[in-house]
Amino acid sequence: MIAVLALIAGVALGILFHPTVPAALQPYLPIAVVAALDAVFGGVRAKLDGIFDDKQFVISFIANVVVAAVIVYLGDQLGVGGQLSTGVVVVLGVRIFGNVAAIRRHLFRA
Amino acid sequence: MTSAGREFSPDFLTELFRNPLDPGYADAAARRARDGVPRGSRSRLTSGVAVLTLVALGFLLSVAYQQTMADEPAASNARKTLVDQVQTRRAETAQLQQRADQLRTDVAALRARRLGGAAVAELTELEATAGLAPVRGSGAKITIRDGPIPVDPLTGEHNTQALVKDSDLQLACNALWSEGAEAITVNGQRLTATSTIRQAGEAILVDFRPVTTPYEVVAVGPDSLADHFREGYAGRFFKELANRYGMAFDAAPVKDVTLDAASDLTLRVAGPSTPPAPSGGSSPGSARSAGPTSTPSEGGR
Repeated sequence: MIAVLALIAGVALGILFHPTVPAALQPYLPIAVVAALDAVFGGVRAKLDGIFDDKQFVISFIANVVVAAVIVYLGDQLGVGGQLSTGVVVVLGVRIFGNVAAIRRHLFRA
Repeated sequence: MTSAGREFSPDFLTELFRNPLDPGYADAAARRARDGVPRGSRSRLTSGVAVLTLVALGFLLSVAYQQTMADEPAASNARKTLVDQVQTRRAETAQLQQRADQLRTDVAALRARRLGGAAVAELTELEATAGLAPVRGSGAKITIRDGPIPVDPLTGEHNTQALVKDSDLQLACNALWSEGAEAITVNGQRLTATSTIRQAGEAILVDFRPVTTPYEVVAVGPDSLADHFREGYAGRFFKELANRYGMAFDAAPVKDVTLDAASDLTLRVAGPSTPPAPSGGSSPGSARSAGPTSTPSEGGR
């Protein structure tokens, strides 16, 4: 419950302040969002599995976002940014998919 | 989800598919089972941090959403603005053109009232041959259409051999002039003594206005114009092009066509007129012979 409220508060803050993202950071924004979603679905699944851990969640969130951004940054410097972004999205997408499938099994027993 | 998932897996992708959950959660659960639930203040702190993380996450999501939404219209807005500008300018041009036509008609009417009779008739005749007045009569209509453009399957290059070129249109027009045409339009653009037919990239410009396939060259002239054209050099040339590259070519006589006046003719040199010289001498350096005296009954009405 608190988690949902916190999420809504974050969205409200974003709408309220309406920050402009610096141009240099713009390519990393979608990747960061995908990485964050991976952490969130992992956390939800862990909650349903009964093994949720605050510390683990925070660390996995921050690490996911940072690592994804760094990989894409490195790729940009090496000239393979597009391909590496695809790689990051594929890996995180697979994980999101698997976790959502587990959540579905928890919720619907199917 | 068991701590066995912690084992180093040689097959990363299989592991990823089979066990997508971060192994850290299982570790933490195992630690808790071993050490018991952590003390109050510490656990409150980490929960607080987790809540903050969620706030940050919500922030991130809304920022990303707004960013994407802001990017989208920026691209389409620029395009829309350009389209609007083009349309506005085009409407303005049409309006101005209409006004120019109106004024030209007024001038012609006023002039006719002042001069009267024979002088006006002669003037109209001269204007018709110069391309400044609309011309009505019979003549020929030459239709040339681009052939198919094969695309090289390997390189993706377009083979533009079968496209009509400016020189083809020039050749058609010159052939028509030499067969006795009195007035010619290319896709509705009246040719004058100073008209140009030029290529710009793949586009053909007639007096700096683009014309596209199919090209219709309409000429007012003798009734035999179409036949002569077809049998003459130009006709054979276009037939050969049609056979070899698949261009479409057709020359047919037409009855009672009206050719519009040229939209603007810049007067470069003017001098006092010597005794009426209908040929006008207005086409120096041009291979075309306007031939206004050949069949005066056909044009200039």
